[in-house]
Amino acid sequence: MKKAGKVHKPTTTRKRLLLFVLFGWLLLILGDRVGELELYQGSFVATYALAITSVVLLTGYSGQLSLGQSALMAVGAYAGALSIFNAGWHPVIGLIMSALIAGVFGLILGLVAARLSGPYLAGTTLALAISLPTLANQFPILGAEEGIAFDVGPAPARFGEDFSQYKWFFWISALASLIMVFFIVNLLSSRYGRTFKAVRDNPVAAQLSGINVEQLKVSAFAISSGVAGLSGGLLVMLISGVSPSAFPLSLSFSLLGAAVVTGLYNLKGVILGGLVLVAIPEIADSLVSRIGGSDNLTTVLPGFLVSALLILAVVFTPNGPGHLLKKHH
Amino acid sequence: MIRNKSMKRATLASAIVATSAMVLSIVPAQANSTGVTATSIKLGVSTPLTGSAGLVYGKVPGAMRAYFDYINANGGVNGRKISLVIRDDKYLPTLAATQTTNLILKDKVFALVGALGTATHSKAYTAAALAKNNVPDLFINTGFSGFANKTKYPTTFMVLPTYNMEAKVMAKVIKDNFPGQATFMIAQDDEFGADGVAGFTTAGHKFTATPTLYPQGTMTAARAEGALTALGAVPGKPVLVLFGTTDVTATLLKAAEKLELTKKFTFLAGSVGADANTLLALGVKPTTIDGVISASFLPDAKDLTDPYVKQFIDINTRYNQGVTFDNYVLAGMNSAMLTVQALRAAGKNLTRAGLMSAIEAKGSTFASAGLVPLGYSATSRVGYNGYWVSQLNAQGEGKPYGGKLVIYTTDSGAGAVEISTFVRPTMPKNGIPTNS
Repeated sequence: MKKAGKVHKPTTTRKRLLLFVLFGWLLLILGDRVGELELYQGSFVATYALAITSVVLLTGYSGQLSLGQSALMAVGAYAGALSIFNAGWHPVIGLIMSALIAGVFGLILGLVAARLSGPYLAGTTLALAISLPTLANQFPILGAEEGIAFDVGPAPARFGEDFSQYKWFFWISALASLIMVFFIVNLLSSRYGRTFKAVRDNPVAAQLSGINVEQLKVSAFAISSGVAGLSGGLLVMLISGVSPSAFPLSLSFSLLGAAVVTGLYNLKGVILGGLVLVAIPEIADSLVSRIGGSDNLTTVLPGFLVSALLILAVVFTPNGPGHLLKKHH
Repeated sequence: MIRNKSMKRATLASAIVATSAMVLSIVPAQANSTGVTATSIKLGVSTPLTGSAGLVYGKVPGAMRAYFDYINANGGVNGRKISLVIRDDKYLPTLAATQTTNLILKDKVFALVGALGTATHSKAYTAAALAKNNVPDLFINTGFSGFANKTKYPTTFMVLPTYNMEAKVMAKVIKDNFPGQATFMIAQDDEFGADGVAGFTTAGHKFTATPTLYPQGTMTAARAEGALTALGAVPGKPVLVLFGTTDVTATLLKAAEKLELTKKFTFLAGSVGADANTLLALGVKPTTIDGVISASFLPDAKDLTDPYVKQFIDINTRYNQGVTFDNYVLAGMNSAMLTVQALRAAGKNLTRAGLMSAIEAKGSTFASAGLVPLGYSATSRVGYNGYWVSQLNAQGEGKPYGGKLVIYTTDSGAGAVEISTFVRPTMPKNGIPTNS
């Protein structure tokens, strides 16, 4: 709770831009000081952070529970891959298409979803997550199970010979994620963004205040899908190609789990969520090799650690560590 | 004088620089032996250990490790002990890419051996930059013919014959043994099934109806019953080709049981989907699998008269305790035995390039349990080049179809299916290779 009489000063867009540029610059410096494996892992952290942003935006801010983020990521991934592989467009255009096509798909889906809520919406998006990637097998242009290549090519020669493919991946994914998250943070702090929260907390009151609830839900779904689509494009860039099995249902659950750990109601912890998804298997690996455990233990431990973290997060920081910091502040 | 001295120094310096440059230019680039020490060789594999694919294929890496442990206990390879780092990719392309990258960048393995899955490994190959780092990618467990493309996968060596070859052999079996019968095909709708359908087309075989294709993971009991009910009305005893994974073969056979159609069809199941132990474990009745025809390139895991099988069972008992010996354990140990021979053939001065050259030069002569010839050469990365046709009995044993072992060889292109007189190399004493 804020003390009475203290005026809340929202961070201005310019200040926020400065913060994001500073953070990007720090990442740039960091990227020069770590190994190739860390750069590759960092690329995944950025990509997952973006995917978690889409979950937080949809579930945390607009109150729509979706279990189909992996399917929306798949739509973006295929759109980007087709733009690059089939249409021969520049990779940057490919990534923009990932966000755009997934956004349009989300808009259509949102029109249906706006009529549903709670378990009905969760069930519908769950069905989407199961069926949509498999549908890709039906169309030869999508390359069946082997899929199609998503090749952004090597880094430009002007960066020098030592500029590795992993550093190039890191730059692309970090930059794309930063730009997108900056856009979302600004949107959420705008008047339009605040209406999201109003609809989430009390749709009836929001409607009585003149907010078009249905339209708002649809737009939240479309924006969230666009963000998920971009993260899908980035994800398949990191594995050099897209195929249906890259987007299993478990990915949707992992993202939702990570969003709960980081806090569904703010975006401050999304990088932590990305770190959780990437770092937990590594931690498990190190732990098992230190105690001399079996391969089976390495396999089981990540799931156990994520579950434990999820329980701890729900018990101690139900609104996420970002919220906790704010409270102390 | 001073000027002369300076000139002399400059000339001397130039000469030294020029000579050094010449010497350096003729010294070969340092050969890559990452993962090899005087006493050890580190290998790696990314493969499903958990999830539905892990249930079926999860035994393969453990079997490889058991064989390597056996070799280590008997002196290793040129005094070096082999270790195998196993990473679980759950049959997911994203995980396969990260796990394989971990094997290269974190574990710093010398070579990969036995990676499994087409969609997974094709992504992992590029993501982990195996071609760029010249990492040998040995004996991969997929029959997708695309991996034989040396330009796209310059460090990959297949071990399974291609699905295309298998379909061509099946087409010959149908032509020779079931003339005039209606034939149908139910295949997985991906590169695996597509390779199979293409093989039948190349062989000139025409099915009575267009093959039924289903996406992976969608063959439910209801769908299987629907498909079989429609085919059940066809007169005679149609031949039904099942080109999918073992769990789908089980679903279709159980549907046939429910509809009482087990004797209506002659079932011809692809090698990927005909593991008898797995079929029985998945609840198919012994009487149903009795008579199922399949193709294979390894001996049957229950054939105790086969010296390789007998030796591998012994190794499994001692080094892979608690794991039941089956076709997957046999395949894993066989790949490990090929790996040991490849490492030996590469010599004491082990390098990545040397290992791949050794397989190209000598791989076709390696001893292995395979009953069909190995086809490695400077131009071919395909392992086994053919199949023998087996028929399962109620005990789950695969016996030669027609009572006599016939070995068929062919290629993945338009080449004919031929009967081969190939006799495999004698097993090295106690299953320990001594080649060089």
